[in-house]
Amino acid sequence: MLDFLQAVSDGLLFGATYALIGIGFTLVFGVMHKLNLAYAAASVGAAYAGLLILQVAAGAPPWVVFLCAFLGGGVIGWLVYVTCFHFIPLSNPLAPLMATVGMLLLIDEIIVHLTAGMPQNYPAMFDDVMLRAGEFTLRGDLLLVAGVSVVCMIALLALLYRTRLGLATRAVSQQAVAAQLCGIRVGQVNAMTFVVTGLLGGIAGALIGASVGALSPLLTAPLTVKGLIVTVIGGLGSIPGAIVAGLLVGALENVFQQFRGVTERDLYVMLLLFAFLIFRPSGLFKQ
Amino acid sequence: MKTLAIAVALALSTSAFAQEKSIRIAGFGAKSGVVRSFGINSEAAMLAAADVINKQGGVKLADGSKAKLVIDYLDDRCTAEEGISVLRRIYGTDAIVAVGPTCSNVAEPLFGILQKKVDDKGDSGLQMPVFTDVAIKIGLAKISEWAFRNVPNESIMYSSLFYWLKTKYPNAKTVFGGVEEDFAHSRASWYAIMKDRAEANGYQVLGNSKWLLNDTNFATQVREMKNANPDIVAISAHPFTTCGVLKEMQRQGVKPKVLVGLTSSSSLETLQGCAKQAEGMIIPTSFAPVTKEGKTAAETTAKFKGAADLHSMAAWENMFILKQVIESEKISGDKSQLQADRRKIRDGLAKLRETKGLMGVTKRTDDREADKPYLFVHANKGEWKVLHNPL
Amino acid sequence: MDFYYGLAQTVGIHTLLGLSAYIVLLTGQVTLAQAAFFAIGAYAAGMLTVLAGWHIVPALGASAMFGAATACAVGFPALRVKGLMLVVATLAFGEGVRLFFFNFDYQVAKGEIKVGPLGGEGFRQIRYFQEHGWSTGEVMLFVWVFVVLAMAALWWLDRSRYGAVLRAVGEDELAAQSVGVNLTAVKVSAMTVGGAVAGIGGGLYAHYTTHIEHANFNVLLATFAIAYPIVGGLKNVFGTLAAVIFVQAFLIEGLRFLGDWRNLLFGALIVAAMNLRPQGFLGGRRA
Repeated sequence: MLDFLQAVSDGLLFGATYALIGIGFTLVFGVMHKLNLAYAAASVGAAYAGLLILQVAAGAPPWVVFLCAFLGGGVIGWLVYVTCFHFIPLSNPLAPLMATVGMLLLIDEIIVHLTAGMPQNYPAMFDDVMLRAGEFTLRGDLLLVAGVSVVCMIALLALLYRTRLGLATRAVSQQAVAAQLCGIRVGQVNAMTFVVTGLLGGIAGALIGASVGALSPLLTAPLTVKGLIVTVIGGLGSIPGAIVAGLLVGALENVFQQFRGVTERDLYVMLLLFAFLIFRPSGLFKQ
Repeated sequence: MKTLAIAVALALSTSAFAQEKSIRIAGFGAKSGVVRSFGINSEAAMLAAADVINKQGGVKLADGSKAKLVIDYLDDRCTAEEGISVLRRIYGTDAIVAVGPTCSNVAEPLFGILQKKVDDKGDSGLQMPVFTDVAIKIGLAKISEWAFRNVPNESIMYSSLFYWLKTKYPNAKTVFGGVEEDFAHSRASWYAIMKDRAEANGYQVLGNSKWLLNDTNFATQVREMKNANPDIVAISAHPFTTCGVLKEMQRQGVKPKVLVGLTSSSSLETLQGCAKQAEGMIIPTSFAPVTKEGKTAAETTAKFKGAADLHSMAAWENMFILKQVIESEKISGDKSQLQADRRKIRDGLAKLRETKGLMGVTKRTDDREADKPYLFVHANKGEWKVLHNPL
Repeated sequence: MDFYYGLAQTVGIHTLLGLSAYIVLLTGQVTLAQAAFFAIGAYAAGMLTVLAGWHIVPALGASAMFGAATACAVGFPALRVKGLMLVVATLAFGEGVRLFFFNFDYQVAKGEIKVGPLGGEGFRQIRYFQEHGWSTGEVMLFVWVFVVLAMAALWWLDRSRYGAVLRAVGEDELAAQSVGVNLTAVKVSAMTVGGAVAGIGGGLYAHYTTHIEHANFNVLLATFAIAYPIVGGLKNVFGTLAAVIFVQAFLIEGLRFLGDWRNLLFGALIVAAMNLRPQGFLGGRRA
């Protein structure tokens, strides 16, 4: 029983990393109705970009690296917008999807070329902190990730519902033509949204790198799949939904692994997704 | 008159240059993705070895003339389809042998498209000798009589390692394993090799944890390890997940007496990812720069921007073995005799009973594999240092 | 010459994969499941020729049937999922099938060795072509017989009333429904045909590479499957063929002389292609 609860809590905590990447996915997917398959790759790329500061200032503390990743994410987010969404007319819905696939491959290749594919040690905060609650151990660094997710959620909700940019974003996502008629510059709003989600992705990438302990191009594909699953289970466009879904997927993953082993684990995660698609297609939190 | 003499001399010398013979050897392997460093190092080693051979005059052909070695290196991106396409491409050039591939999951299908038995007229498989430098999964060369490998025999190395550990750490009695389940090499290396050889040497294998190639959360697996409380932990995984597991072990305070790793993880990658946590990890390997030849090979390869490790140094050794075979089998170097030359290379490689390696004499087995001399290295302050040299 | 025959084989097999996605994309369903049907066809044909000693042609027929049957079964629940959500659902299905094969052991003793799929280690020694003395040129012709048949069948379907109905559903479901088109029949039948074509492609793939394992049929292959018709344009089947030639012959093999730059250009050129010709090489509207 103890083992089971420990597995659940381990999974729940690691799910915080899925939550963090899911928030950005759900924003782009749910609010802008665009599928950006390059999102996880861009986030990992931003994390790598964060490491660049260590080339210049070797002893920099971890939070400086995270800050660089944060800023790098914004830049990469803007680049993805320009190369995949800005110039392609809306009448071709599949072309941006394919363009983001191209960007995913390009970002991955750039990472591989610059690092010869080798895993890069990533600085972490609180990674040696293990909190003990009776028989349980909880990873301190993952609690930080969970905390950051909540902060990001609050910041994003504030952005979406209390600022002009947020208002414009919601207007464009609901009725692009009407928004344009009201004088909202659609191109600029979209670009800004991508920058915001890119900034978020940078933080996500950095914290995921810190939790794992090393960055590798291997991170991209599973994060893309998990991000999409978390987005759908949480409800498209629902930011609290992405957090809850991230924690849920993390916990259930570990439970499946406990009972059926690592080779069947992901199969059950897929079945979980199908269950949601059939019985509750709008996800946990309707938007 | 003098100008005419100079002109004639120049003409003669340029025609001599024009007649300079060359033998092409094609290398191929992964220069993309997470295994990119392997391809870079193998290519550098091949270029470096060819440079040394050419500076010493090149290889001697059947008619007594000398030929320079020309090296091509192609990227197969560690996928079966591209590996097959690359080999077919190499077959269409005048290369007399192909050296590669890097990935075991490319080698298996690749050897499958080769002719299984020579002189089998009913088998339309490709007739091209392939001399592998890196792909290490056990038992692949027996798929085809055109496939040869110069990779260490993990079964022998780990058997020797566990035997030696018994003498060095007599209080260590139990072993617990960690396995990367979805990669052919690491999976086979735990079940068929590490576990098997540990038990054969009298250890009690308490069990093993499993994970996948790109997993990032090892809490459950390390907890299993902790509960088993083993003396020795053996991790059969590649650098990324090895580092993930080691960091989790540090977090949960799992400190076994001995830490054993997978052959191919004794490279720069592991140290780049987690030098601190890998401190003390013992890995058997078929190369360390301890001999004079080894040091020279490492230095020369570094000039071509490659690192010397057990994989790239196998490529270096392959070049010198091929030189020996080219000369002993009297390769014509004549483009019109290309297929005959390839067959001679194959037969020459098959005849070898031993070859000269950088660590000493390597025996060649009947199923076209190698029995390479080995030693044990351990991670020490950010470098792989020799721990024990059985030679 | 062998190299060109081999390249033609690759182009042919990938064209079958692309065509299987083409027909489904015509109905407006973006499917990442084609690699799964491809995998089912591969394992089925391999097992039939290696374990049961069948001739290759009936084995491929069986692949087509298994592919079609699975696709039909997937087609029905796929109706409930709309738009980009279908991408996630089919992605999850594809991963599920891959994980199934990851865990699939079925070995039979032939003489002293065991043959057949062995979970993570894959299925080795599918050497029907080599054992029966087929030359590379003969295999190429064999593959292209199927490619030509598939292209002809799909071209004919496209020109028929069925094709008009498919495209009508793809353009505007509501309008199509209002003129009496049975959406279920159209979408599921397209999925089924796609599954059959993918199954044949997979069966040929298994015999061409002689060794298959779960990792061959991953998300990347599924993405390539829809990339071909999107990059080539949905105007007709030749668009898909053109895209396969562009990717396999030009980007992968033709650019080899660029060395390391080849991989970087791969992603970049796809992004460029989507920006310059978002409707695909041949365009989207049927002439």
